[in-house]
Amino acid sequence: MKMLDQIWVQNLCVVAGYSLLGTVLWYGTRSDRWRAAWKRLKADVPGMGALFVIFAYLLVGTLESLTISAESGNLTLLQKLASGVPQEKSYSAPLAKTTLSVAEPKPLKAVHLLGTDALGRDTLVQTLRATRSALWIGGLTSLIYIPLGVLLGMMAGYFRGWVDDVVQFIYSTVAAVPEILMLVAILMVLGKGLGTMAIALGITGWVGMARLIRGETLRQVERPYVAAAKAMGQSHWKILSSHLLPNVMHLVLIKFVLGFSGLVLAEAILSYLGVGVPVGTPSWGAMIDASRSELSREPLVWWNLTASSVALFILVLALNFFGDALRRAFDPKRGE
Amino acid sequence: MPPRTIPRLFASLAAALVLSGVFPACSNNPLPEPLQQTREDGSPWKVRYAALPEDPRSLDPQVSYDSVSRRVLEPIQECLLEYHPYKTDPFELTPCLLSGLPERSETADGRIIYRCSLKSGILFHDDACFPGGKGREVVAADVEYAFKRIADPKVECPVLSTLQDYIVGLADAFEEARKAERFDYSKPIPGFVVTGSHTFEIHLKAPYPQLLYWLAMHFTAPVAREAVEFYDGKAHDGVTRDLFRFHPVATGPFQIAEWSRNTRIRLKRNPQYRTTVFPTGGWGADQDALLKPLAGKALPFVDEVCMTIFKESIPIFLLFRQGYLDGMGVGKDAFSSLITPARSLSAKYIERGVTLHRDTEASTFFMAINMEDPVLGKNKKLRQALSAAFDAKSNLDIFFNSVPIVAEQLLPPGLAGHRKDFKNPYGYNLEKAKALLAEAGYPNGRDASGKVLELVLDTTGGSANERMMAEFDQRQFEQLGIKIKIVENPFARLLEKLDEGGFQFATGSGWGADYPDPENFFFLYYSKNVPPAGKNHSRYRNPEFDRLFEQMATMENSPEREKIALQMNNILSEDVPHILNMHRSTFALAQPWAPRVQSNPLLEGGLKYAVLEHGTREQLRSEWNGKPLWPVIVLASGVLAAALIAINARRKH
Repeated sequence: MKMLDQIWVQNLCVVAGYSLLGTVLWYGTRSDRWRAAWKRLKADVPGMGALFVIFAYLLVGTLESLTISAESGNLTLLQKLASGVPQEKSYSAPLAKTTLSVAEPKPLKAVHLLGTDALGRDTLVQTLRATRSALWIGGLTSLIYIPLGVLLGMMAGYFRGWVDDVVQFIYSTVAAVPEILMLVAILMVLGKGLGTMAIALGITGWVGMARLIRGETLRQVERPYVAAAKAMGQSHWKILSSHLLPNVMHLVLIKFVLGFSGLVLAEAILSYLGVGVPVGTPSWGAMIDASRSELSREPLVWWNLTASSVALFILVLALNFFGDALRRAFDPKRGE
Repeated sequence: MPPRTIPRLFASLAAALVLSGVFPACSNNPLPEPLQQTREDGSPWKVRYAALPEDPRSLDPQVSYDSVSRRVLEPIQECLLEYHPYKTDPFELTPCLLSGLPERSETADGRIIYRCSLKSGILFHDDACFPGGKGREVVAADVEYAFKRIADPKVECPVLSTLQDYIVGLADAFEEARKAERFDYSKPIPGFVVTGSHTFEIHLKAPYPQLLYWLAMHFTAPVAREAVEFYDGKAHDGVTRDLFRFHPVATGPFQIAEWSRNTRIRLKRNPQYRTTVFPTGGWGADQDALLKPLAGKALPFVDEVCMTIFKESIPIFLLFRQGYLDGMGVGKDAFSSLITPARSLSAKYIERGVTLHRDTEASTFFMAINMEDPVLGKNKKLRQALSAAFDAKSNLDIFFNSVPIVAEQLLPPGLAGHRKDFKNPYGYNLEKAKALLAEAGYPNGRDASGKVLELVLDTTGGSANERMMAEFDQRQFEQLGIKIKIVENPFARLLEKLDEGGFQFATGSGWGADYPDPENFFFLYYSKNVPPAGKNHSRYRNPEFDRLFEQMATMENSPEREKIALQMNNILSEDVPHILNMHRSTFALAQPWAPRVQSNPLLEGGLKYAVLEHGTREQLRSEWNGKPLWPVIVLASGVLAAALIAINARRKH
């Protein structure tokens, strides 16, 4: 896991992630079904609006994910952009001119749109920086659970028999363990970190994908094109990769988008439970967790909770909207 | 409308109205009725109501060590000596079960003898363990029995390891019993000699003036053997008896009347209590009006103490506000409602007559630096730079509502050797810290090769507050241009690391005084106490400090001892084996009818001194818990309106 802490590895991961996404989309453009879906999606106003919001989050997350070397140490691009925002002594309310202390209010170095947290950090900057944790968790976990779920699901659906039995047994067993318990146990063993959290979520999160793909594969293998491929003597690998995979990829995409929102929430929940991101990593869950004590302060400190909750809510809502739009685009009959 | 609907409707209405009349008539007092309404002379029965966070774990005087157990045990179990309730700077010991302070003498072979004499006529609580249920007189043999229990492996006394180093024969008695798997109570301990029915001697191997403080703790308090043997937790004649740890039989001003596990403990005044009276002086002139009338009077002043267990802090605040608790500690949840930003009591509560008290514990909290670490241990300037970079005041402002005191030295206020004018030479000063870091070989946080210095700070993790505190610490040190890696640990794991030495520097270290003596703090840096032998987690080794410690540890308090303590303070301040943080302070509130009459942080509540104005409480409680009529009217109107709408709708239908 230490390698993931290296700056160059993280930068490389970002580039690799975008390359992978680009490859998948490019691969999709070769399919008539995907092209038709894209056409329908473009006409779906809520879906396109959600996509725009997701792109905005992706941009912010990317700025926070790319690290550069500066005189004062390593900085992310977002930190570099926000370097003009000074750090205060402690809490200050949105747009306030002094710190929150009524006994000794001290003038602020600058006006903060969403106030500052206990350590005097700008809440808006912290909220934006926390996007990275959400996107990294969503992205890294997807890289783990999607290949695992797709591979096992397709194998179970295609080969059936004992392969299906074994796969079903494994995912039934994994699904029987309470997820939160398993996540906490894995994180206690592996330690805190974005990488370990992604592994923990990936290990527990592939079951749904495997079930879905198994069901779809069972349906697809009955289709004439699979029978034709078999009759032509094509290998199992060829049939799985060249014929079946393209026909289940739309489901993978929909599940990926909808699952992403679940992962963002899971990151927030685990951080809230204190087993999430390590100290010093901005996270919406950690901000929400910190607000437990802030809400009992006088005067009330509400802005950290509000900012993190709203940021989380908008991303999850956008992902859900976009997921639904994708479903409608790929399966217009069911969508209607 | 069907004929049966209207009678049903009216019945419902009537029920609603009756209920709305019944609710206001109910009391909102959640506390139980007192054990008695009046005393035998007809005067009101006085009850003090207090809160406890949990059940005491053990009320066995030789075992009980946690603060909750000590709080319950203090009014039940008296000690040989006790702390004066007002003389706290420095702390002063006074006789309690003893008739005077022990007399010290020295033998030719270097042994120290303390001669003690018990007050006569002090009786144990009346209890079924005694013949006829009548408590018998306390004698020297009961103290001897207590000392033997300290050495009994089955009792598991937590202070044996300290006392066995000084009391002659205590370690041998423990070893013998461990091997034989049974303690022979008939065999005397050479270090404890009963010289008469009420007199005894304690023999020490070497000078140890701190023994007197141990005599003020319940570990050395007399125990009736009959009680230990009677309360064995077994069934006798079909009745299962309590274990002794749940049924203390002692000599204190109160005894247990009721203990509902996880709910409440009720203590009742011991009618035979004659041991001590209210002090005749020692308080400040500002307390004269309150305390002078009490001087020399028999204790205790209240008849009953009702301690209710609250797992959450919010109900404590609510009940205090309603007048159903006589005092409370100000926790985080209620802090903003009670305390003004200027750290005084809010006007609303001043109007009510509530008083605010600030208690400073004899404790010091700090970050331990591992002196065996190759980077920090060998670079004094680096440690000094870290110390100067830590802004303890901001830490207290942000996380502790500015209540605790910034620690400038290891010794907390009130201890002999604590200097009020002492300033930590490496207290917060960022510019100085940067200069020291450059002198340490890390200008701007980088070593000669230009590499950023990276240090690992071990913290406790889990809660948001702990995480935020860790981030604060990280930010403090990173202002120097160095990199701090935070490692979060569960508390138990952090303790393991401190014992094993597997850390660079770590938060969460601190020490609360067992007794108010500088030896009880300086021993944390004595080289012979490096783990596993002791609690020198910093693994600090300094021959000069050791020499001064050995010299000071066995001295009586004197100007010379204070001088040595100052020297030791200076050595620690210069060597920086720790980064000082705070001496813990808390706020507490007292109701107008239950003013605070003692101010010693070493007492666990001092319930025997507690006073109560019964009439004022009854009057104010009734004023504060007035039953407003408007909810009844609103409820009744609502029901009536709903009924009329329903009738109307039914008719239209």
